Amino acid sequence: MRRWIASLIALLLASAAWAHKPSDSYLTLRAEAGKGDLTARWDIALRDLDYVLQLDRDSNGELTWGEVRQRTEDITRFATRNLQLRTGDKACPWETAAPLQLDHHSDGTYAVLSLIARCPGLDAGLKLRYSLFFDVDPSHRGLVQWVAPGGVAAQALVFGTESAEQTLALQSSGAWPTLRQYLVDGVWHIWIGYDHILFLLSLLLPAVLVRRRGKWEGAPGLGGAVKEVLKVVTAFTLAHSITLTLAALQIISLPSRLVESAIALSVIFAALNNLRGMQWRPVATPSGDSPPEGASQSWGGPATDLVKSRRWVMAFAFGLIHGFGFASVLADLGLPQNALVLALVGFNGGVEVGQLAIVAVFLPVAFLLRKTLFYQRGVLQAGSLIVAAIATWWFIQRAFDIQGGPF
Amino acid sequence: MTCLPRLAAALLCLLLAGAPIAAPFTPSSDSDVVERLPGGASDPAVRRVDSLRKQLAARPGDGTLRLEIARRYFELAMAQGDPRFVGYASATLAPLMASADNNSGYWLLRGMIEQYSHDFPAAVASLDRASKIDPDNAEPLAWRSAIDMVQARYPEAMAECKRLAAMVQPLFGAGCTAYVEATTGQLLPAYQHLTQALAATAKAEPELRVWALTRLADMAQRLQRPEQAEAHFREAMRLGINDQYLLGAYSDFLLDSGRPAEVEKLLAQWERSDVLLLRLALAGAALKDAPAAGWANQLRDRFQAAGLRGDRLHEQEAARFELDVEGRPKEALALAVRNYAVQKEPRDAEVLLRTALAAGDAKAAQPALDWLRSSHYEDPRMARLAEQLAALGARR
Repeated sequence: MRRWIASLIALLLASAAWAHKPSDSYLTLRAEAGKGDLTARWDIALRDLDYVLQLDRDSNGELTWGEVRQRTEDITRFATRNLQLRTGDKACPWETAAPLQLDHHSDGTYAVLSLIARCPGLDAGLKLRYSLFFDVDPSHRGLVQWVAPGGVAAQALVFGTESAEQTLALQSSGAWPTLRQYLVDGVWHIWIGYDHILFLLSLLLPAVLVRRRGKWEGAPGLGGAVKEVLKVVTAFTLAHSITLTLAALQIISLPSRLVESAIALSVIFAALNNLRGMQWRPVATPSGDSPPEGASQSWGGPATDLVKSRRWVMAFAFGLIHGFGFASVLADLGLPQNALVLALVGFNGGVEVGQLAIVAVFLPVAFLLRKTLFYQRGVLQAGSLIVAAIATWWFIQRAFDIQGGPF
Repeated sequence: MTCLPRLAAALLCLLLAGAPIAAPFTPSSDSDVVERLPGGASDPAVRRVDSLRKQLAARPGDGTLRLEIARRYFELAMAQGDPRFVGYASATLAPLMASADNNSGYWLLRGMIEQYSHDFPAAVASLDRASKIDPDNAEPLAWRSAIDMVQARYPEAMAECKRLAAMVQPLFGAGCTAYVEATTGQLLPAYQHLTQALAATAKAEPELRVWALTRLADMAQRLQRPEQAEAHFREAMRLGINDQYLLGAYSDFLLDSGRPAEVEKLLAQWERSDVLLLRLALAGAALKDAPAAGWANQLRDRFQAAGLRGDRLHEQEAARFELDVEGRPKEALALAVRNYAVQKEPRDAEVLLRTALAAGDAKAAQPALDWLRSSHYEDPRMARLAEQLAALGARR
């Protein structure tokens, strides 16, 4: 009778949506430029490996790291037997590049295999034959990210029972995907690079204010604030572009610990600069109460003190340091030798775009709030103090190579 | 990125990309549990099929055993909603192909697997073959009627229900015909028939009762009797069967009644199921509460993962997600159109009507409107949608 129920449920669900993901493996295959070597990172679900290799030795329904680790050889042999890489009529044998590790995916824990294949050269073309699990689960798919020699953007390939053997294109991706990839990386880096953001914001915070008689007041017009922001951003951009280019072309190189520590220092300076000459008496002229016309010096006029006008200098000087920081990220991403300029332009452009997006959000908000006590005290003064404190911690961490910590 | 504050970076990654880019790790101790296998040690159905598999390894030529294992895998897939089991069933079944000429069990299971992957013409051919070899077997017939319903071939479905009624217990037959009747302009009589059949069946299996009650609740909703619908749902829930379809239908009912908080309570343990996760995300979006973004992100990830492998099995859910959570009617409509080309159940039609209306593209809804007219399907909500679309220039 139970089987009837299944049919009935089918009557309802028809072709049901399923509660789980089907079986996939994730393979990233990268050709090293000019050598015929290919590196691979291959994520295979432990659950699938258990189905074939019976990893759960004590059959208690739980896999321990020991049960997996002790079968490393079996896992590697089984996997590599089902992943054949050929150039012409020659096979490229797989070797293990690093010990087996694990990683979490949305549907469970996966074994991570690090492999390297040594081909006798790639001139005869490259073919990949994938057959993992096809004999036990024809719905399994191998989702492959293929990065051609000198390429940057990966090409996505899906291997299934009907598409088990495919040719891997050896031309690296065209100019536009490369440019776009680096552009995205650039935007991404500035957005997750808190040290760069905090530095820039520290310099921008006072841009909507003017210093008059030793205290901050809201800038009278948007034009002046925009001009000030532009000066700072342009100086910062110019400076880090110079050093990023010099470092990427390996004309200058600095030890990363020094660079990272100096970046932290730059944030401290930028933040503390906002607190200079601070007077702890109530801020006058709340919103609407603008100074009498006759007494008003035009914004940027001689009565404002020097701190503000020097901010772009600071942006430039420290921008040089930040450029070295960007360069190390770019180096981590891997620079395609055949598309060096493209990558450099793309990454730098991405950093600018990311920066402008931050400014576009910051400026209107700051301008609207500039006359409030909240902005002048809360954001500028307290905010700068907090930034300085965080940056000090970064500095200690980086200069003395301390791991962990609250940030 | 070693310079970054890691916690904050992870949070921002989560915010921007939906999920952090994970790095591989090495557990610190051999005794760390790194994965729990499905069913664990406790699920007798999984253990049973495991042990049968070991027997098969010793006697690979045993066709009966092979078919039994394949069948059990398919049933596991149905019960747990896990597509891997369908793959296992398919692989176990494959070697029987050569000697399957007169094996009705082989063709039945093959048809079931084919309908799973939406290959309906092949599934119908296989099921017909099974019926031909073994005319007294009701099962291939039941599956055929299910496929005919999905594809909106109501006269065929009704004929199969009538043939089935002679072979199976009454509640089953009544359910089959009531389902067709309720879809073809006889909603009220269908509701009454099924109510009577259920009352007359004292000893039906709880699964069967849950199914009948869920159907009754759906019909009561369309008859605009929400109190009765709720009573059916509650009675079905009391039977204590974990039925995804019931939970999904009840959640939709609660969402339609403006009670999203109850959906979150009802589905608290069901994030693993794609269909139910969608309801959680909808409830979260309605309440604008803290977990909403997390559910939406999870669902987005799952649809992306399905897209990566080129799966097209979730398009109705994907369309609802795009429309009601992401607020992208154009993308939602594209999915609903593609879905309706394969699946034509009332739910599929409703999603097509809604997305077409939201996207302001009345023409795209035409196939569903045509179906609504020709089937005489009764549902005030769909009738309202059809009116609005007609106002936009669609043919009624």
